[in-house]
Amino acid sequence: MKKKDFGFKTIFILPIVIYTLVLIVLPIIYVLFLSFCTSDSYGGINYQFTIDNYINIFDITYIKMFVKSALIALVTTFICLLISYPFALILRRKSESVKNLATKLIMVPFLTNSLIRTYGWIILLRKNGVINNVLTGAGLIEFPLNLMYNKVGIIIGMVYTLLPFMLLPVCSAVFELDKNVIEAAKDLGAKPLQIFKNIILPQTISGAFNGSLMVFIPSIGYFFIADILGGGKTMIIGNLIKNQFLTARNWPFGSAISIFLIIITFALVKVYKRLGGKIEDLGGL
Amino acid sequence: MKKIVLLITILLILSGCSAKSYDGEVNVLNWTSYIPQEVIRDFENEYNIKVNYGTYSSNEELLAKISSSSSGTYDLIFPSDYMIELMIERDMIEPLDKTKLNNIDNINSLFLKQKFDKTNKYSLPFLAATTTIVVNRKNIKDPITSYNDLLKEEYKNNIIILDDQRIVIGMALQANGYSMNETDKDKLDNAKKWLLKLNKNIKAFDSDSPKTFLITNEVDLGVIWNAEAIIAKEENESIEIIYPKDGFALSLDNYAIVKKAKNKDNAYKFIDYLLRDDVSKKITEEYPYINTNKNCQNVSTDELKYILDNATYVENIGSNISTYDKIWAEIK
Repeated sequence: MKKKDFGFKTIFILPIVIYTLVLIVLPIIYVLFLSFCTSDSYGGINYQFTIDNYINIFDITYIKMFVKSALIALVTTFICLLISYPFALILRRKSESVKNLATKLIMVPFLTNSLIRTYGWIILLRKNGVINNVLTGAGLIEFPLNLMYNKVGIIIGMVYTLLPFMLLPVCSAVFELDKNVIEAAKDLGAKPLQIFKNIILPQTISGAFNGSLMVFIPSIGYFFIADILGGGKTMIIGNLIKNQFLTARNWPFGSAISIFLIIITFALVKVYKRLGGKIEDLGGL
Repeated sequence: MKKIVLLITILLILSGCSAKSYDGEVNVLNWTSYIPQEVIRDFENEYNIKVNYGTYSSNEELLAKISSSSSGTYDLIFPSDYMIELMIERDMIEPLDKTKLNNIDNINSLFLKQKFDKTNKYSLPFLAATTTIVVNRKNIKDPITSYNDLLKEEYKNNIIILDDQRIVIGMALQANGYSMNETDKDKLDNAKKWLLKLNKNIKAFDSDSPKTFLITNEVDLGVIWNAEAIIAKEENESIEIIYPKDGFALSLDNYAIVKKAKNKDNAYKFIDYLLRDDVSKKITEEYPYINTNKNCQNVSTDELKYILDNATYVENIGSNISTYDKIWAEIK
C-alpha cells in the first residue's frame, strides 16, 4: 500500500519537478555561470572567470538609469495602491455574487496578450488619438496633451498592465477584515481617515505589500511598455538587459544585471516576510 | 472510454484535413515586412515546397537565433553587410554554389563585390536601404540639408528617429564630420553631446513603423529608412525625402545559406525564385526598398550612383560596441 501510494504521488509531482528544474532552475544556474564569464568582441563567451560584470553595474551611467527605473516602478506601485484600496473597500460592502463577478472581471484582460493591449493604448493616447480629440473637441484644452512617448505614457501602460496584480491581493486582504472591528471604531468616534490608518491599513499591509512586490518587480523589467508607450526614449532595467543580449552582444554583462535583479527581488521578499507576510501568498512570484 | 476514442478519432481526421503533401521544405528566416505573403504562397504552389517562414527585426536577433538553435534548424537567412562579415569569420554560412542560380545575371553589378564579401563567395545582394531625413513640408518650410538643421529649438518633440544605436550614434558622428564607424573616445564624446542636444526634439525612437508617426501627423521630421519614407510619402504628399549632406547609412541585405543547412537545394530554388524579375518587382512594389535586380530598378541610375558614392556601411566595431551601448544608456 505504502509503495503504491509513493508511485502515485511521484507520477503527479514529477512533471512539476522536471518543469521547474529544466525551465527555471537550470536556466538561472546557467545565467549565474555566464555572469562570471567574459565576452569576446564578437559577442561570444570566453569561459574565463571575472567579477568585472558585477563591478560594471555600479558605473554612474547605469546607477542613474536604475534610479530612474526604480522611480517609475515606485510611482506605478503607488498609483496601483491608490486605485486598489478604494475599489476593495467599496466592493467589500457588496454581496458575494457582485464580489465574485468583480474579481472575475479583473482577470478578463489576461485573456488578451498584453502586447496587443499595449498597442491599443496608442490609439487612445496619441496626439490625434481618442482622448485628445475628445478633449480638444469639447474645448477643454487648446493643444493636444503629450500623453505618450514620455514617462507619463510608460506609467499609464504599467499601471494598466499590472493593476490586477495589486487588486487581487488587496481585495482578498480587505474582504477578510472583521466588520465588527470597523463598526466598533466608528462607535468609538473614529473618523474615516483614522479608521483607515489605525485599523484597515495595519490589518491589510501584508496584502498591500504582496501586491506591491508583484507590481514593482515587473515594472522595472517590462521593456516593451517602455518601448511602445515611452517611444523608446526612456530606458528601464529591462531594456538594458535586452540590449546586452541583442545589440551590445554582451551576454555575461546582461546575465550579471539579471542576477543583480534577482538579488534585489530576494531582498524585497525578505522585507515582506519581516512585515508578517506569508511566502505562500506570493503565489505567482 | 468510448468518448475518448471518438475524440481521438475526430482529432486524427481533422489533423489529416489540413495536411497538404509537399515534396520538401525550406526554413527561411527573414526581416519582418520584407517579402509579401503572396510571393511565398506562389512559390509553395509552383515548386510544391513548403516554406517555414520566421522573422527577426535586427541582425543581432538573427545572430542570437542562429547561434542558439541546433545546426540545421534554418536554411536561408538575409543578414546585412557587417553581419555577413561576422558570420564568415565565425564560419556560420556556406559558400554559395552559383551554378544552381539561373537568374543570377539579373543582379545589378553595382551591388556586387562589396567590401564585406569582396568576391561574393558567401552572399548575394537582395535589397538595400539607406537612412534619409524626411520633412513634412506642410508644417516646416526651413531649408534642411544636414543633420545639424534638426537641432533648432522650435522642433521640440517633433522628430521620429530609428531605435538603433549604431544608426543614431553614427548620425551624430557624421553631423560632427566624423566617420559613422568611429571608435575614438573623444569623438564619440562629442557625438554624445550632440545627441543630448538633439534629445529635446526627439518625440520617439522607433524602428518597427516610424512612418506611422509621419502619416498620423504625430511629428513633422524624421530620420528613417528610405522604404518607410517612400510609403509615408505615398500616404502624405507633402513629405519630402532628403539625403543629408553629412552622409547617411547604407544597409545591404543578402542571401546566405546557413552552415549545415538541411534543405540546401530548396534554399537555392527559393533564392533563384526571388531573383526572377516578376517576383522581385512584386516585392519592391509592396516594400519599396532599393531593388538590386537590374531589370526592376526602382531608383534612377544617377540616384543609385549618388547613394553608393556617399553612403556608409555600418561596420563591425568589435568590443567598442560597449562604448556605444553606454552612450545609448546615457541619452535615454
